[in-house]
Amino acid sequence: MRDPEIAVKIKNVAHYFGEAGDAKHMLALRETTIDFRRGGLLALIGPSGCGKTTLLNVIGGLLTPTQGSVDVCGKTVNGPMPREIAYVFQESALFPWNTIKENIHLGLLFQGVPKNQREDRARQSLETVGLGEFANHYPGQLSGGMRQRAALARALSLDTPVLLMDEPFGALDEQTRMVLGEDLSVLLSRTQKTIIFVTHSLGEAVFLADQVAVFSARPGRIKEVIAVDEPHPRRSGFVKAEKFTRLRNQLYDLLHDEIRKTVDQGSRPGAFL
Amino acid sequence: MTARGVVAARRQTRWRSGLAQIVFLLAVVILWWLAANRWGASPLLLPKPQLVFFELVDILRSGEFWPDLLLTLGEAAAAFAISATLGLATGFFVSVSPALVKVFEPLLAAVNAVPIILFLPLYILFFGLGAPSKIALGATIGFFPIALNTIAGFSSVDRLYVRSARSMGASPAKLVRHVLVPGALPIVLTGLRMGFTVTLLSIIGSETIASLAGLGHQIVNLAEAMEMPRMFAYIVFVIVIAATLNAIVTRFEKRAAARR
Amino acid sequence: MNVGRFMSRFVTRYPGWSRLAVVVLFFALWEILARFWIDKMFLSPPSRVYGEIGKVFATKGVPEALGVTFFELGVAFAFAVMIGLALGLAIGLNSFARRSFMPIVLLLYGIPQITILPLFILYFGIGAPSKIAFGVTHGVFPIVLTLVAGVQNLKPVLMTSARSMGASRWHILRYVLFPHMVPSLFAGMRLGMAGVLLGVLLAELYVSISGIGHFTSMFTQAFDPTRLLGLISILAAMAIALNEIVRRAEAHFSKWRA
Repeated sequence: MRDPEIAVKIKNVAHYFGEAGDAKHMLALRETTIDFRRGGLLALIGPSGCGKTTLLNVIGGLLTPTQGSVDVCGKTVNGPMPREIAYVFQESALFPWNTIKENIHLGLLFQGVPKNQREDRARQSLETVGLGEFANHYPGQLSGGMRQRAALARALSLDTPVLLMDEPFGALDEQTRMVLGEDLSVLLSRTQKTIIFVTHSLGEAVFLADQVAVFSARPGRIKEVIAVDEPHPRRSGFVKAEKFTRLRNQLYDLLHDEIRKTVDQGSRPGAFL
Repeated sequence: MTARGVVAARRQTRWRSGLAQIVFLLAVVILWWLAANRWGASPLLLPKPQLVFFELVDILRSGEFWPDLLLTLGEAAAAFAISATLGLATGFFVSVSPALVKVFEPLLAAVNAVPIILFLPLYILFFGLGAPSKIALGATIGFFPIALNTIAGFSSVDRLYVRSARSMGASPAKLVRHVLVPGALPIVLTGLRMGFTVTLLSIIGSETIASLAGLGHQIVNLAEAMEMPRMFAYIVFVIVIAATLNAIVTRFEKRAAARR
Repeated sequence: MNVGRFMSRFVTRYPGWSRLAVVVLFFALWEILARFWIDKMFLSPPSRVYGEIGKVFATKGVPEALGVTFFELGVAFAFAVMIGLALGLAIGLNSFARRSFMPIVLLLYGIPQITILPLFILYFGIGAPSKIAFGVTHGVFPIVLTLVAGVQNLKPVLMTSARSMGASRWHILRYVLFPHMVPSLFAGMRLGMAGVLLGVLLAELYVSISGIGHFTSMFTQAFDPTRLLGLISILAAMAIALNEIVRRAEAHFSKWRA
């Protein structure tokens, strides 16, 4: 039954927030069934509160869906799967009381990696993201962009087949996002990882993703999946290409009505992240 | 969470914490009753709660507490008036310039870290055992939180508001009246509330340590006369008075901050 | 105006020296007032207080009383930290305990403890135990309250990310909650030290037949401001030193917060 080419299998997943019968009871994610292939980056994009983060957390085992189930790498998810899935969050999830290197060591400790392997893996992942010199800095001493690089290094060091990223560049300024996006694309060209990436930004989605899943307004469902057929690493030239603009416009058209609906509903941005 | 949900949850929490406090107080009284009546605790250490209750009724009915209460409250009011005036004035004038804040804020904080109760013997030497030494101590102790919070309050006003008011042509007086004061008010009010609380405590405290009259003195007198039930009754009385005053002040702070 | 600008530039560049200047000015004013205007029976100039501080130590019983006070402060602080840490963890780490016990802690904290000082003396006598006990009850509440607040303000994403990396309960306690709490523990200890100082000194001053209280009332009755100010200065220095130790420790263990 198991198809090794399917990294994430989502079966009839739906999720409600709050208890049934409560005033706060609300459908966050409509029933969704979809398979994500192994390798490449899948972007989840949609208006605020459309359930994209909910879906990400269900895949990651941080949230048990009200209905349905998820398989990651052929295993049914019920709780965090540190050997299969690593996370990068929007805000800095580095432990502020540990240096960057200690943070990576801790991740490896949590994951159960033997002590004698941790140092090598920590150094290697820091080199990969270009933070080798900052290993002994505390997160508070680094810029937002460097913190997110460090968070990425921690996730990479865990060496999981699947990487979930929840608006990892959301809190950064435009220039930093651009640079980090290019770096991530270089990284993608070198690994076999499956990355699921939540974003608000149309440009970021097109630039990074091999597939973009567009969500409808709340209660969300995946409205359409668009393929971006362009090899990694993608360079800044891709942004100026006609194909980029066409795909971006296509996404814009798909999203515009949904965003309008969301804003007119009076949804507060981020309220249901 | 919706706004209504938040209010309901908060109300529920408050109701629960009220219940927990009442249950706790009841348990204390029952244990006290058992210890004094059944388990043979010495009446010199733990008087029977029913006796304390009768004494409390007697104190309230006879009205004998009035002179002490009025003295303590009068001292507290005088001390608070002094500490509030000096604290607000100092805080405001220091906050006018960042340079002054840099010099005086750490100095005030450093002095505040010393237990000011140590000045009490000095004040007694200056002013004697009567009300003035209590008022001086209360005013000194109340001064620091008020001055420090006033500085913090005015410094916390977002410079963006100041710039935007200036861009609309506000005069310095209008800037103070319409931007700085409302901006600083919540923290300043917190300072005033804290100042009031510590002033009241230090008045009662200095009456306890060395004085001729007042509520604190009354408790000490009864302790020395070994009149345990009446002393316990006075303690309860003073605690209720202090708690009531603090509740009133806190309420006032919240109201004023909400209305600004 | 020029003078004003010069002063403000000086202050911005040398805040430490400016503070020192204010302190020197204060003492100079005090010196002048005490030397030329105020009756010797009430106030001594700082130069005299400093010059005759040896006389305070030479007063029979004073060194012992100071030693006992220092001992009481140390013991009371140790107890306050241990009890505060235990209670703070028990209440802070468990939301059920927090809901049921926090209201009681707040209720007790709101009681003006000074009203029950005579009871402490009655129960524990006029010696060190009553003063230690009074110091502990003053020091313990700030520690508990700061710790409980500290445990609660952990960013949820840190817990989530630890969980996502496979952290066990023990891992979360040891590597997430515990380091997160260290700054609040030290902040609580700083406030707790202030409480312990207040409690112990209140009790010391209250008991006027022995200890520090005996000597403050003796010097007051003898109209001896030199020795009184000397004794008060020694106690204040003790308080400042203890506060400073805790503050330094706090700064050291909260470095990552920069």
